Amino acid sequence: MATTPELLPYGRIREDLFRPLSGVSRNYVLATVVAFVIGAAGLVAWGHQLRSGMGVTGLRRPVFWGFYLVNFVFWIGISHAGTLISAILRLTDAAWRKPVTRAAEAITVFALMIGAMFPIIHLGRGWLFYWLFPYPNGRMLWPNFRSPLLWDVTAITTYLTGSVIYLYLPLIPDLAQLAEHRTLWRRTLYRTLSLGWTGSDREWHALERAMKLMAGMILAVAVSVHTVVAWDFAMTVAPMWHSTIFGPYFVTGAIFSGIAALIVVLAALRKILHLEFYLTRHHFNNLAKLLLLMSLLWFYFTMAENLTVWYGNDPGEMAVFAARTRARYAPYFWTMVLLNFVVPLVLLGIRRLRTIRTATIASACVLVGMWLERYLIIVPTLANPRLASASSTYTPSWVELAITAATFAAMVMLYMVFSKLFPIIAVWEFKPHPLEEE
Amino acid sequence: MERRWGMTIDLDRCTGCQACVVACHAENNLPVSGPVEAAKGRAVHWIRVDRYYEGTFPDVKVKYMPVMCQHCDDAPCEPVCPVYATYHNAEGLNVQVYNRCVGTFYCANNCPYTVRYFNWFEPEWPEPLQLHHNPDVAVRPGGVMEKCTFCIQRIKRTKQDAAQEGRPVVDGDVQPACVQSCPAEAMTFGDLNDPNSKVSRLAESGRATRLLEELGTKPKVIYLQRGK
Amino acid sequence: MFVTGEFREKEPVVHTIRQLRDAGIDSSALDLFSAEPVELARGVLDRPSRMSLVAVSAAVGTGLLATAFIRYTQHDYKLVTGGMPLFSFWATGVITYELTMLGAIVATFGWFLRESGLIRRREKDAPVPHVDPGVICLRVRCPAGQAPETIDTMRRHGALKIERSGQ
Repeated sequence: MATTPELLPYGRIREDLFRPLSGVSRNYVLATVVAFVIGAAGLVAWGHQLRSGMGVTGLRRPVFWGFYLVNFVFWIGISHAGTLISAILRLTDAAWRKPVTRAAEAITVFALMIGAMFPIIHLGRGWLFYWLFPYPNGRMLWPNFRSPLLWDVTAITTYLTGSVIYLYLPLIPDLAQLAEHRTLWRRTLYRTLSLGWTGSDREWHALERAMKLMAGMILAVAVSVHTVVAWDFAMTVAPMWHSTIFGPYFVTGAIFSGIAALIVVLAALRKILHLEFYLTRHHFNNLAKLLLLMSLLWFYFTMAENLTVWYGNDPGEMAVFAARTRARYAPYFWTMVLLNFVVPLVLLGIRRLRTIRTATIASACVLVGMWLERYLIIVPTLANPRLASASSTYTPSWVELAITAATFAAMVMLYMVFSKLFPIIAVWEFKPHPLEEE
Repeated sequence: MERRWGMTIDLDRCTGCQACVVACHAENNLPVSGPVEAAKGRAVHWIRVDRYYEGTFPDVKVKYMPVMCQHCDDAPCEPVCPVYATYHNAEGLNVQVYNRCVGTFYCANNCPYTVRYFNWFEPEWPEPLQLHHNPDVAVRPGGVMEKCTFCIQRIKRTKQDAAQEGRPVVDGDVQPACVQSCPAEAMTFGDLNDPNSKVSRLAESGRATRLLEELGTKPKVIYLQRGK
Repeated sequence: MFVTGEFREKEPVVHTIRQLRDAGIDSSALDLFSAEPVELARGVLDRPSRMSLVAVSAAVGTGLLATAFIRYTQHDYKLVTGGMPLFSFWATGVITYELTMLGAIVATFGWFLRESGLIRRREKDAPVPHVDPGVICLRVRCPAGQAPETIDTMRRHGALKIERSGQ
């Protein structure tokens, strides 16, 4: 059993957690270049789409929402990683959360930023996206607040603001530490961002109070955000979309995919930044158990949804159901069940199989499975409308694939930049004062 | 009393000739998709004729059903548009405001009749078709949703002409292109609020049905058919 | 005049604070500096806070404002959609909720900046001790006459590097 970090001297901890901030390795540069190239390809694709029209995508009547909306829901779902884990674990005062919170909060902010791009990317006239905002104008224009898309706009704005603040607040004391040790432009950056933090007890009290309040509020917002995204679909009359279960279903799915993303990210950080002493088997074990719990919950909701549709036998819904489980989309559907339920159950349910490696594999499977789940929610319903003469299929074009790939590259890049500028484990939070009662 | 425009289509008369489709194309400056885009399912037909086959050879029965925007009184497409590009006007029409549409596709996803069509590219017409545009109708830019308007330009023109000539608009004055062109005279158009109009009387008939009535959209296109 | 002393343990700090307060020095004149938060028992060095109240009031206020905003602007745009009423609280309730939470979040952050003193102008000659991890630094603002007694109290409880500055 390796030495627990609590028994390592302060200096060593600080050194370990600040070391990644200095110097750029060859792999880092390589990864940045690759991510940049993929990101650029995505931008080119988007530019082409803006110039030539939405026809360059694979969209067609009646499948008016395709990859872009799938990605939107997927990334907003991932964003529930951070804040939920961080907030719930803070509220319940779980000590093992300490090295995990900042990485999780960073995932939230970046996933939100990426997810929020898609409502703009998917627009037929994307350059007019600002018309969705209520701003005074001389042309008698106003947005329609009854539309779930406006609820989306408000919810995501609130969540993004809240997440950035929630990421920033516990970063302040670390920034103050960094301002003493770094040189040149970094010192200015850290000093400005740390707002002159001195470490006085007034500051600590205010910070802790603010964090407690923020944890509760961000939790309330996070639950509402993905419910609102779910209601984009549930508020319609489309078959198998108009379901009351969608709100909780999506939130569960979001937490599920969020934890999976967190495990993958932490495993990568642990390997690359040599944080084996800080992100231990203990942490991965706990996260794996949470992932398993969410997998069971997800399966419960999926079961409930599909069983009620099948038993109810409504013709409009059955057309979609048949397409999903027996016809064109069946391979995706059953793969999804395998990846989201069977794999986690086996790899994480059997204690002997639950290791850091298997937890990472299970998480990667869940990420793919959850992406498929979003696809299976959106496309089969649209492809099988109530008036069957309009039924069709959907195949994404290179534009949609390029933009999808670019978002993953963007996530990697944002994360790499973040971990170079700020310690990915909260130094002050990680090491409680030596004489504090546990 | 305000008008409430509605339409009846007699399915027992419809021959499926698609003259209404062609007339609509000509009247409303519908873009020509071309064979490639049409194969991708992107052809724009504000009115389309659905074919339903019943039975097997030699006892096959075919039903032709022209479907266009039903101008629902409780239209599901209207509340979901975030920019008010589609709303219900005072005469009961579901209006599409082309220059306000930003292309969220939400209205199209929420239409249970799948009657909304999107301009995937800037519209094009092969020579010399660009010469026959109707000056009363806008040419829609790419990125904008469109659908049947009950030939609102003809409604407006009729009302203007009547006002200029100092006479009221009588039943039968307003005829959308599809109604006008039907050789079997299967379609009627008029004011549902006027109990004496032909549309209102036909709507009371024992053969009157509505599409997807159970959804509560209150469509204003009434299909007359003996049996379902 | 400011007196600062460094401690390595929490208990002596608590005793020192108690004695200083008995000697008449108010909580507002005392400041602790540390690299990690120090948990003290209730009653030792309490800092009253109004953050929860601010958050809740801001939430309620923003919620009411948001609802009023939606209602009045939506009535200015009398466009009927889907047979729904022009303003329906339930149809727009989500927006009210989100803006309520946004108000609470922004107010909490703003109040944090104020309550922590990060945006208030600091006393110019108040020394800010450099704290190494594991060290708790106690800074006392006291009149010059009381300084020797303060230094004495600190030394008795094992403080190191006791310094005085200012007048």
